[in-house]
Formats: sequence, C-alpha cells, structure tokens
Amino acid sequence: MEAFWVEILKSLVSGLLMGLVFALVALGLTVIFGVMDIVNFAHGEFLMIGMYTTLVTAPLLGVDPLITLPICGLVGAVLGVISYYGLVKYLLRGPVIAQLFGTFGLMVFLRNLALLFMGSEPRILHKGVLVGKSFVVGPGLVLESTKLAAAVLSLASFYVVWWLINRTRLGKALTATSLDRQGARYMGISTELMNALAWAIGGASVAIAGGVLVNFWPVDPNVGLLFTMIAFATVALGGFGSIRGALFAGIIIGFIVQIPPVWDAALGLLGLGGGDAISLHPFKYTFVYLIYFIIMIVRPQGLFGWKQ
Amino acid sequence: MEAIRNAFDFSDFPRLDLTIAGLGILFLLIFPALPHSSFAMATMIQFLMFSLYGMGWNTIGGYAGQVDLGKAKYVGIGAYTTAVLMIRWDIPFWFSMPLGMVFAILWSFVIGYPLFRLKGHYFAIATIATSLVVKDIFEVWDFVGGARGLELPLKGHFPDFLYLQFREDYYYYYIILGFFVLGVLYINAFRHSRLGYQLRAIKDNEDVARSLGIDVHWSKIKAYAVATAFVAMVGSFHACYNFAIEPEDTMSLDLSILIAMMAMLGGAGSLWGPIIGAAILVPMKSYLGSWLGGQAGLAGLDLVIYGAIIMLIAAVQPRGVWGIVEAVRARKRGSHAAA
Amino acid sequence: MMRKFALVLTVLAALGLLVSGAAFAGAPKEIKIGVIYPLTGGAAAAGRVLRNGAELAAWIANNKIQGVDMDMAKKAGIQSLGGAKIKLIFKDHQGNPQLGADLAKKLIKDDKVVGILGCYFSSVTKTVSAVCERYGVPMINGSSTSPALTTRGFKWFWRTTPHDKWFTKDLFELLVGLTQGKVRGVKAVPRQEINTIVSACEKTEWGSHVSSLIKDFAKEYKFNLAKSILYSAKSPDLSSEVQSMLAAKPGAMLFASYTSDAILMIKTLKSMKAKPKLIWGQDAGFDKPEFRQLGADIEGVLIRSVFLPSVAKVKKVAGQVNALYKKRYGVDLDGASARAFTGLQAWVHVLEKAGSTDPKAIQKAANAIDIPGDQLVVPWAGIKFAKVGNETGQNIKGMGLIGQYQMKNGKLTLQIVYPFDLATADMIYPFKGF
Repeated sequence: MEAFWVEILKSLVSGLLMGLVFALVALGLTVIFGVMDIVNFAHGEFLMIGMYTTLVTAPLLGVDPLITLPICGLVGAVLGVISYYGLVKYLLRGPVIAQLFGTFGLMVFLRNLALLFMGSEPRILHKGVLVGKSFVVGPGLVLESTKLAAAVLSLASFYVVWWLINRTRLGKALTATSLDRQGARYMGISTELMNALAWAIGGASVAIAGGVLVNFWPVDPNVGLLFTMIAFATVALGGFGSIRGALFAGIIIGFIVQIPPVWDAALGLLGLGGGDAISLHPFKYTFVYLIYFIIMIVRPQGLFGWKQ
Repeated sequence: MEAIRNAFDFSDFPRLDLTIAGLGILFLLIFPALPHSSFAMATMIQFLMFSLYGMGWNTIGGYAGQVDLGKAKYVGIGAYTTAVLMIRWDIPFWFSMPLGMVFAILWSFVIGYPLFRLKGHYFAIATIATSLVVKDIFEVWDFVGGARGLELPLKGHFPDFLYLQFREDYYYYYIILGFFVLGVLYINAFRHSRLGYQLRAIKDNEDVARSLGIDVHWSKIKAYAVATAFVAMVGSFHACYNFAIEPEDTMSLDLSILIAMMAMLGGAGSLWGPIIGAAILVPMKSYLGSWLGGQAGLAGLDLVIYGAIIMLIAAVQPRGVWGIVEAVRARKRGSHAAA
Repeated sequence: MMRKFALVLTVLAALGLLVSGAAFAGAPKEIKIGVIYPLTGGAAAAGRVLRNGAELAAWIANNKIQGVDMDMAKKAGIQSLGGAKIKLIFKDHQGNPQLGADLAKKLIKDDKVVGILGCYFSSVTKTVSAVCERYGVPMINGSSTSPALTTRGFKWFWRTTPHDKWFTKDLFELLVGLTQGKVRGVKAVPRQEINTIVSACEKTEWGSHVSSLIKDFAKEYKFNLAKSILYSAKSPDLSSEVQSMLAAKPGAMLFASYTSDAILMIKTLKSMKAKPKLIWGQDAGFDKPEFRQLGADIEGVLIRSVFLPSVAKVKKVAGQVNALYKKRYGVDLDGASARAFTGLQAWVHVLEKAGSTDPKAIQKAANAIDIPGDQLVVPWAGIKFAKVGNETGQNIKGMGLIGQYQMKNGKLTLQIVYPFDLATADMIYPFKGF
C-alpha cells in the first residue's frame, strides 16, 4: 500500500517537472500566436535547433552545457527573426492555407537540414554539471538534477516573459498589437517590429528550452514533431495567446503523460499487475493528442484563452 | 448519367492542355514497352500511386480548402483490410479493396463529424493528431500484427490476378494505371458536380456559402469521404504490391505530409495539380534518394529542397505550379479584351 | 516501308542476341552480392560495423592472405569459378522494411546480383527475404535472430546465426546456474533474490519475439515475470517505462534494445538510481562501440553475444582475424561484425561448392554445405543448414555466449561468463547499482 503511494508521488513529481518543461516549450508558440494569429508548424524544429546548439557548442567551447543557454537563446531569436522577415511576412498576406504550408515547408526544411548536417543518430549530452546526477529525497523519491534545473528555468522564463509583457513599454506595445492591430498602428506602434519581436521571443524561449532538454532528452532530426504536437496541445488547452494558460496547461499535460505508470501502480495495488497486464505505455502521448482533440471540440478557447 | 457525361467533359480546358494530357496518357500507356530499369518502373508506379493519393487529397484539401495532414491512416485502413482479409479468409483483392474503402469511409464519417467543427490550423493539427492516435493503436493491436505488421502469403503461382500477385512489375503498372485513369475521370466528374461547386463556394467564403443554403458541415464530410475512398483504394493496392505492411510504412505522418505536399506543390484545387506535383516530386525523391542513399553523408538533401520549394510556393504562389500556369495565362489573356 | 522496318528490326534483334550471348559465354570475373544494412538511422552504428565485417571477409576471400588459417584466405577469389572476385554492393535500408524490399528488388533486377546478404533488423530481413523468395534469388542472413524467419518454409533463405530462442534459453540457464553455484566466482545465489524479473523489448519483429520468448521461458523455468514492456526503439523518453519496471522491484532486468534505446535505458536507469541484481541485454544495441562509451556505468551488464575478443583464447582463427580487423578499423570484432563476416564467408563457401552462379546450383550447394567450426571466427561447431523439419534453412551448429562488461586496468572489457566452462573471468554479482 505504501509502495503505491510512493509510486503516485513519483509520478506527481515527474509530471510536474516535465510539465514545466512542456510549458516552456509552449510559451514561444503562444506568444507568436497571440500577436499575429499564425501557428508555427516548425516550432518543434526551433527546439531541435536549440538542442543541437547546446550539444555542439558545449564541447566546442569546453564549457558546461548550462553556460551555452544564452547562445541558444540568441540562436533562437535570430532564427525567429529570419523566419519572420524571410518567410512569415509574406505568408501573412496570403490565405490560411498558404500560412499552413509555409511554416510546414519550414519544418520539413529545417528537419532535413539537421539530418544533412548532424546525421540521423540520436545524441545526448554525456558531460555536464548536472548530467546524470540525481539525489534521493524521502521515501525512495529520486530527483534528477537535469529535470529539476529545467523546471526551475521554465518558471524563471515564464516570470521573465510575464515581466517583459506587463512591465515594459515594449511588452505593452506587443499586447496592444495582439489585441487590436489597427489601433496599435494608429498609436504609432510598428506592426512589423512587433511581429518580428514576437518571433524573436518565441524562437529564443523554445531554443533555450531545447538547450536544457538535451541534458536528459536525446536529440535527433525528428525530435521536433513530438514537441510540436505537445506544444499545440498545451497551447490549445491553455488558450491560444495566453501565457498563464501555457504554464498551467503544460503542467496538466505533464501529468497526463504520467497516466501509464499510475495505471501500472493501480493495477499493482489491485494485484492485477504482472507480465500480461495491459500496458498503457505505448499510449503515453496518444492521451495528449486526444486531449487536444477534445478541447478543440468542447472548449476551443481553452482554459484562459480569449482568442479562438 | 449526367455524372458520366461530366466525367468526360474536358471542354473547359484549352486545347494545349488537352494535347499535353493526351500525349501524357500515351506515354504512360507505352512506357513498359520502352527500355527501362526496374528502378524506373518502380518510380512510375510510385508516381501513379501518389497521383491518386494527391487527387484524393485534393477533394478535401484543394477544392474544399481544408488542409488535411492525416490522410495516411486511411491508406492504412485500406491496406490492412486487404491484408487481413487475405491472410485470414483468403479473400481476393477485388473484394477486399472495396471493403477497405467502405471501412475507411465509415471511419471517416466517425472522425469527420467532430473534426469539421474545426477550421484552418486547428483542423490541420487535429488531423495530425487523429492519424497519430490511429497509428499508435495499430502498433499495439495484435490482430493486425502490431508493430511487426503483416506479411501477405505467396500464392505460389504467378501471375495471379485474383490476389494481385505478380513477379513482373508491369502487371502492377497497368492495374494502377487503370485506377489512375478512373481517378482522373472521377475527379473531372466531381469538379462539375454540385458537390464540387458547393465546395468551391465554401472555400471562397464559408459564411456566404452557408447563407446560400449550403450545408457546409455535411459537404465537407462528403468531400472528406471521397478523399478517404481514393486513398484507401491505393492503400489496398500498396499491400498487394509490397507483400508486407506495417503501421510505420502505411500510416506514418511522413506519408501524410508527402501526400499533402505533392498536391499543394502541383496546385491544390485543380485537376492536374496533384498529378503535376507527383510528377515533380516522386522522381526527384526516388532518384535523389537512391543516388544519395549510398552516400550516407547527403541523406536528407532531397527533402531540404522540397521544404524550400514549399516555402517558396507558399509565399509566392499558394496555388502551386498550376497556379503559376494559370496566372501566366491570365496575364496573357488580360492583354486581349475580355471576350 | 513495312519491309524496311521489319528488316531493321530483325537486324537489331540479331545483334541484341549476339551481344547477350557473348555476355553469357565467358565465366563471370566478378560475383556481385547485394548487401543491405542500416547504414543510417538509429542503428547506423551497427550498420558501420556490419559493413566492416562483410568487407573484411570479402577482402580475405579475394586475396591470398598470410597468417589466417582459413580456406578462403589461402586462395584469391572463388576457385571453382575461375578465380572470380566477390564484389559487394551495399544499400542502406535505414531500418525501414519497405525500403529494404525496394532495394532488394533493385539489386536483383537492375544490379543483377547473384545473391543477397543482410539485413540485421529482423523486420527488414523479413520483407527482403520475401522478395528473394518471390524471385528465386538466394539470400543468406548473418545477424537477424527472430525465430520466425526460418519457420516460413522458404526455399531461398538460409540463416547462419543461431536465433533468439537459443539465446534466451542460454539466459535462463545462466539464471538457474547462478542459483546453483555453477557460475565462476559466484557462490550460489538464493532463488528469491532473482526470482522476480522484468523485461523491456523494442516492439518490432525482433524485440516482440524476444518478449514472448522471455514469457515462455519464465513460465518453463518458474520465474516470476512481473512486468513485460514493449516500447518503440525510436522513443526519446523511457522514464515512465523504467519507472514501472522499477516499481516491480525486480531482481533481474532483461532488455532487447537497439543502440540508441539501449543507451537511453541505461541513462534512465542511472538517473533513477536503479539497483537490480542483474541486467541483461539481448545483444544488438548492448554490443556496440557507442554503447561501450558509457564506460564504467555499464560495468556488470550482461549481454548475449556471439563473439567476444576473448574467444581468441579458445580459437586461433578468431584472434588472427580480429587482429586484421582491429588494424583496419581500430576496434575489436563484435557480435555484429563477426556475424557479418561469417555470413559472407558462408557465401564464399557456398559459391565455391556450387561452381556456378546459377540460382538452382547455389540452392543445392547451400542445402548441402557443411563448414567445419575451425574455419569460423565465431565459437560454433560449424555451419550446416537444416533441410527438413520446421526450421529449414537454419544453421543447426551455432551457439551463443553470454558476456559481461568488466573494467580491467581502467578499460572496459567483455568477459565470457557462459557457457560456464568457457568462462574467462569471475562474474560480477550482484550488479553494483547506480
């Protein structure tokens, strides 16, 4: 019986930590959407690039991977801005179908560019201050330093972005643009600049998320897809455009991914475990996709959203 | 009756187009007689298959303007129906294929009904989500072999028209060519049909279409069903052509992406578009892929190029290659006064 | 007009016949064998060593090599075919069974290979062998271990490596042996320490079969299989699977993983500070240089293997070939490269016996061949394919080993712990935990 509660506790903690990571990944997507109503299919690829950035620069510069995070941020911001001025700007003029395919093409392009330059094998950081280290807390609860750091970073990032949006003039301009583009323009706020800024923030935050992720999550050219889907589910659940929503939804999604081990623990409690028991592990992320589907049908504005 | 007449009604195309199409069909008919490598033959079969996939996709993605990125699951349903029916109950292709189409269509109604409450990006993402869910289910479902997939037993004697088992590829080629021709005729009829016009109205402006009395929701579902039928049909063929199927190869997201990409590149919303798209991308992918395949260092280059092309098309001419053709023509026409 | 046309046609046809006739007249100077391996993708690491193994074997066969006590090293080329040299045509299946089948078709019809070698992934071998069966082209499989591959009654498929049923049985023999004190350096272990076992296998053809074999043997040997998980080798996150496995408090953890997932498993186990008594990997990913980079972390991990460098202690040829391999590629032979080597070696012997590239002759030769064990680098009694029964084409003289990673002088080595009488070192028990 006690073992059961320990397992539940483990799942709660894991869910919370990973959930914060998912939230961070989704943050960029929701900011971009909030400002300009475009959904970036290549979001996961930005994450992947952040991951590769850290993977490559840490040994190159001989520093600890954590130190490369600002570089990731920079790379992400630059990538976001280039994507905006090079592609998205033109897509905004066209029909929705063009926007979809444009960022979609970007996804295919980036994914295979990575394949070309980085190869197809999954890679993970082997060296680092936090890598591979965990410590035990309480009744057999094992906390991994990397995930803990990622969660802390996520909270910090949310705070920073929140502060940026609500306490700076630039942030207020961004909010104004997302609420009423024409009105903002009349006030002298350059829509172009706001758009680019949104992409810079979006790109930077997700690239940083990648930089932390690669401490415990292997990167390969296809890693983006899963995270794009998770990010969409998170943003849908939280509400497109809502930063607060992304945070809460991310945590909820983190818990959802813990359904299989909780199920196993419950089965174990009821004595139904064992080699032939039904395992929900293959459906780990299926639940996430289902949540997306259900939310979009039942409550399209999500938890905190004010945009459709 | 009217539908059949419509199927052969190509009159709204300029003579030039029809001549090129005619030459194209001629080429396709005599291709196996020309000297070719087995690789070229395999590429041609792929081209015909993807043209069909694309034409199917086009009904919902092109004519209706609802970008569907989850068509692969219906390929899977078609393929698996044929495979399971043959393995378990020895049912020939010609029975299992229509059954596969029926299952796929039924399933498309189940999914389509809630799916079409969504629009635009939300719809697109939902289609990806449903495809992934179905694939995940097939991967653990022992009845269909799970992740191991299914292997179609060899009947032993070749050629076998009942079960579609041949040693020589050109049998497969002509069968898929037959489907291809039927497909073109069907889409042509579709274009002229009431549903076709309704969809174009919906694509232009949904609200206006609704105010004209068109049942938007139901029209979309019908178009989705058509697309599904096409795709499932080719899926059944795929199972027989390859003798083995598994979720990863019949239902993958990559396949859905390829289908949508080809149709979009060639020109979503036009009759020739998907065919053009397939004609460009399939040989490119095949030849680049095999040329680069040995050189491990250049894997992915082919898709980098497609990605770039798609971005370009999306930014410059969302209506694809066919859109470019039409734009050029419109400009030329504009120099004469309207007739 | 028609007559001129007919004349031209006849002349062309005649020329065509002449040319093709000439092509068949002389004995082939080159024998093309198609080799399909995963050269890119998650198992690219394996693909590389497989390729190396096959290439080394081809090189030895094609040239007179001193210092290697093998028949094929003493001659250059296939003697019964006029000294024809083996030419390997490599194709990359990327782990995709569909692609593998397409490549096989291409090799058969365009490159006109005499036969096929491959494909490592049981799932790809399945589809490729089906293509070969359809076209009547011989295929030798060196490294795929799913038992199902030889129960299909195929007439054009031969497998040199023993398969998972043998290997999994070896594992349970080892487990029981532990409790009976038969293992070198370990006193008899109380049964309840390792009675609870869990398994995690990748879910395609290979892993899923290993998983059900473990289930069957657990029942037969009366072990308690508390958790049996199938996962996707491409999955980037295995923490919830591992969490469930550890919740069952297992004594022994059994895995069937390819390279990247094997590495991920160990890392996840480490991050959760797992402390099972025993960890065993069904070869594949656990036997690769990339995996070995985990160094001291994997000390104590057991792997099923078919070849360890220590085999050189009992087989001279193994040491000789390993030295050549190491000189060329910088690392020792391992289970994958050794079997790729042996697979091609089997081809050489079969061709030598057939004396012709005619498929039927090759088929006859393969069914009759009997290669003695001292010709092989792997510790088998030999290569002889079953002709009757329900496992036609399976080599009945193979054998498996179980090795354990141990640190010796600061370097990671692989020592034999099973069969008990071939043990090269004391087994480390229990696993030291993370």
